[in-house]
Amino acid sequence: MTHGSQRERTIGVEGISRVEGEGSLRVSVRDGTVTNVALEIFEPPRYFEAMLVGRHFSEAPDITARICGICPVAYQMSACAAMEDACGVVVDERVTALRRLLYCGEWIQSHALHVYLLHAPDFLGCADAVELAERDRPAIERGLALKRTGNLLMETVGGRAIHPVNVRVGGFYRAPDRDVIAALGEPLRHARDAALATVRWVGGFDFPDVVGDYRYVALRHPEHYAIERGRPTSADGSDFDVAHFADLVVEEHVERSTALHARLGGRHYLTGPLARYAINGDVLPSIARQAARDVGLATRVDNPFQSIVVRAVELVAACDEALSLVEAYEPPDPPATEVAPRAGIGTGATEAPRGLLFHQYEIDERGTILRARIVPPTSQNQLTIEDDLRRVAQAGLDLDDHDLQWRCEQAVRNHDPCISCAAHFLDLEVVRS
Amino acid sequence: MTTMDRHARVVLAGFGSEYRLDDGVGPLVAARAERESEARDVGPLSDPLDLLGHWNGAELVIVIDAVRSGVAPGTVRVVEIDVDADSRVTGGDQSAAPGTTSTHGIGLEGVLRLARAIGQAPKRLVVVGIEGERFGVGEGLSPAVEAAVSDAVRAVVGLVREV
Repeated sequence: MTHGSQRERTIGVEGISRVEGEGSLRVSVRDGTVTNVALEIFEPPRYFEAMLVGRHFSEAPDITARICGICPVAYQMSACAAMEDACGVVVDERVTALRRLLYCGEWIQSHALHVYLLHAPDFLGCADAVELAERDRPAIERGLALKRTGNLLMETVGGRAIHPVNVRVGGFYRAPDRDVIAALGEPLRHARDAALATVRWVGGFDFPDVVGDYRYVALRHPEHYAIERGRPTSADGSDFDVAHFADLVVEEHVERSTALHARLGGRHYLTGPLARYAINGDVLPSIARQAARDVGLATRVDNPFQSIVVRAVELVAACDEALSLVEAYEPPDPPATEVAPRAGIGTGATEAPRGLLFHQYEIDERGTILRARIVPPTSQNQLTIEDDLRRVAQAGLDLDDHDLQWRCEQAVRNHDPCISCAAHFLDLEVVRS
Repeated sequence: MTTMDRHARVVLAGFGSEYRLDDGVGPLVAARAERESEARDVGPLSDPLDLLGHWNGAELVIVIDAVRSGVAPGTVRVVEIDVDADSRVTGGDQSAAPGTTSTHGIGLEGVLRLARAIGQAPKRLVVVGIEGERFGVGEGLSPAVEAAVSDAVRAVVGLVREV
């Protein structure tokens, strides 16, 4: 909706479509210049952090997983990592491998959902995934088959496809049998082929000529594309220990939003696929690197609209990695390391599909949670998304309100924000004055 | 058995979170109804898109969710959705209105339209809605909603037994 004279335009969009959760966006324009951009979020994660206080440390993975219905494994994994850190426990490598396999399932289902059902319609002139399905049914079926394979991994390893129940601090309640894991091989080979087809498909889309000014931050692991563990690293090569994350990342409260805005060293930054690809592209599985090369993707991508191609490359990586893990699977025995609580502070960070997810807990000697801090990817990315919006809105001022609103929504969608991580309600409002 | 090879004739899907006060009633009712019937509970769900792949070929899908429509808390409503309807009903991803409790990326109607477009819609879809009162962060149901749980379970089990 638009208000105002030619000199002043206010565009308001209520209910950003195809973004997880609900939010609002306001863009203000005066004398041909974008004067203000605000992505509004109304509910802080602080409420959930408060809910964790007084609970037993072993409950954190399941409670936090229910905060976000979209990436529960990410919450479970970051919570487990933080609690094990607090208790001074290092889990068996076989547990780590099984966690990575579970996490690959979440990446596959989340990326397939975003690429095919939420993002691709933007590039093909479709109002939504239904219109895309009517026009290109095989494409949507391929996306849904990929998503099902991700769900299958989550169900097989996690015990349930939607909210895994097999995860605990120290490992798993039960390790799947060898033959059960081996049976994942065939669907994963099909999924990898489908992921390669996805790269070719999205690599052929037309992208608006936009270059973002991004400061990328992602976990980095020397041996593989970081998912379930790694060291926070910037694209300039600087890195720091996860334990220092809480000191280095400053979250500020902004009046218009109840979510916190994160800055690192005083500047906003971006986590997620573009950051991971720029920082860890050299350790992608070779099949994923080749797929990226085949569609002409540079080793660093700064066009946010091309994030769909990077997500597709990560789909190939997740399928290929999962296949390797399936082939090398050794059931952890015991399935979990017993973790005895001790008083202290622990931190954990993992790569959720949409970016870095940090947890920090302070517990007492009985394992009671005294303090919790959760920094979801969307609150870290929010300032950068607003920056994108400012750029996209300024470049699109010659568009009519409808098209400008559409372009702004796309700019938000490029980063796959999970508003329900940072907040339960988000209204999107685009305002022109 | 896995998602890929297990398709139930009757699928129950409770939407919501037990950490959202009355929003938790859907999964609670679905879990209890599963114990009292032959239906399969695929919840708790938070994204209707997760119904795809779970409801293919089902004779009946029952979606159970807390609702906020302005009637008395605890009111149980059973709404049959016309799975063959051609019209584009409200909902879908365009419908998210400020103040709703939904965090769904694509609404139930949108998912049904999508399923129809690719030939994966269930034969019959019924929504059992339980009017909630409080949707803030926390655990436990409001007294009126708690009192309605057995009625809602009875309604769901009754629907299952008709199949």
